[in-house]
Amino acid sequence: AADSSGGPGAPCRHHAQLGACESRAKYREGWRPRAVKVYTINLESRYLLIQGVPALGVMKELVEQFALYGAIEEYHALDEYPAEQFTEVYLIKFKKLQCARVAKKKMDERSFFGSLLHVCYAPEFETVQETREKLQDRRKYIAKATNHRDCFVLKKVEGPKKTASKNSDQDCPWSTSGSHVASNRDQSCFTSSAGVSHNIAYPSGNQNESLLTYPYYDNNCAEISGYFGQNTSLTPSVHPGGHTPPASLMQQRMVPAYNGIDRFMPRTTHLQERKRKREEGNKFSLIGMSEDNTEVVIGPQLPEIPKVDMDDESLNTSATLIRNKLKEVADSVSTSVEKPESSSAKPLVKQRRRI
Amino acid sequence: MELGRLEYLQALVTEFQVTDSTEAKEQVLANLANFAYDPSNYEYLRQLQVLDLFLDMLTEDNESLVEFAMGGLCNLCLDKTNKEYILEANGVEPIINCLSSSNEETVVSAVTTLMFLTTPRSRAQTTALPVVECMLRFSLSANRRLSNLASIFLQDYCTPPQVEEARNFSKHTAVGIPLPKD
Repeated sequence: AADSSGGPGAPCRHHAQLGACESRAKYREGWRPRAVKVYTINLESRYLLIQGVPALGVMKELVEQFALYGAIEEYHALDEYPAEQFTEVYLIKFKKLQCARVAKKKMDERSFFGSLLHVCYAPEFETVQETREKLQDRRKYIAKATNHRDCFVLKKVEGPKKTASKNSDQDCPWSTSGSHVASNRDQSCFTSSAGVSHNIAYPSGNQNESLLTYPYYDNNCAEISGYFGQNTSLTPSVHPGGHTPPASLMQQRMVPAYNGIDRFMPRTTHLQERKRKREEGNKFSLIGMSEDNTEVVIGPQLPEIPKVDMDDESLNTSATLIRNKLKEVADSVSTSVEKPESSSAKPLVKQRRRI
Repeated sequence: MELGRLEYLQALVTEFQVTDSTEAKEQVLANLANFAYDPSNYEYLRQLQVLDLFLDMLTEDNESLVEFAMGGLCNLCLDKTNKEYILEANGVEPIINCLSSSNEETVVSAVTTLMFLTTPRSRAQTTALPVVECMLRFSLSANRRLSNLASIFLQDYCTPPQVEEARNFSKHTAVGIPLPKD
């Protein structure tokens, strides 16, 4: 056990070439025989280990082959790594993970000077910082790849400032940066930040509110900033002036803040969101809907238009007023859209067909 | 091809549910876990309740099923919706339990998944004292992958007081989460 968990240069279990799986059902047999293995970000690496290189002094040619897939930062032979007779083992470090990925895919099991290469990832050669950057890149990639969904929600909520999306308050572990727009996820969210304070920009514009970095405080601020981000445009009547200093509201709204975020989505957004989902859902009608016949929800759960008690008389009154106003607006919007197209004056929502 | 892919994933899930063969279950689960790496599949996987499938597999006796399920969760948990779903489903607990596994991949996936699932609301759970204490021990491991990840966990996801508390805690107790065997 000690050997295989040794430092870089020692054989690791994840280097082992597993036998190809023979027993796959036809429909899921790939082009090439493959072993049963799951690739996670922990297994992938810019470092590739290449076994089976014939001991013919062909390092230059080997590196040239691999360089076809991207810039190489480092390479050298691994003399201490166990190798089959007449073969050598090499380590190649790519500049980019994506290049390493492609190189591995293309070069694994390829014949090279008469010998079959075995290429695998070698994450054990990474420094802590390299591993950290690898994880951060993965975060950024996912954020970008799924960003369109968050942007959809954000765009619908008009506000003077587009800050403090749910994105940042959910994903920043503890050093929150509410000032980041959804698409602008840079490193400062995730750097180790003992003792460093971040300015959290509230939509109300109090840019200079520099808060303490104790996690508890950050937790609440993150949620509050999200709260502000969502409802600024819709509830000027609830928050006098629309630019209430964060501090006073923070004290009042600590606990219900998170629930409050979703409450003030405009009615029109629900309609458009549901229409879009309906249109998409029709494409997948072969799977039907979920058992209880509700629409399959994609993306953050938008609540039903609530009749919710906010534990406060005046807030409830205001909320009811707003709700009614929204309904009025929504009805008039959908009516004006419908009119040229159909003779019915009914709002869109009543004609919704449930599958 | 969107429709083709959904059908394919559906077929995988169905095979998993229907088959008696352990081998087939493992293959299918690994397949789904690999699909979970690509964000373009997330909506389908959610529709097919694959997230629940992964979470359910974490308590299986079969080590491979646990390994693949944990890998699948690691792959898809960074997406906001998936993250919220896993947290709502109390997924943190079984993932923490995976830290005790003797399977290296399972442990490594669990460490990363806990990092990815850490939010202001969940961090009380994901960085609870026993977890931090476990990470301290992992950070001293000869296994470089594990020690790197544990170090990042301690540096980036825990406060200095938390780490200090865990250090003091481990001085006084013998009970802990064991290192994975190889």
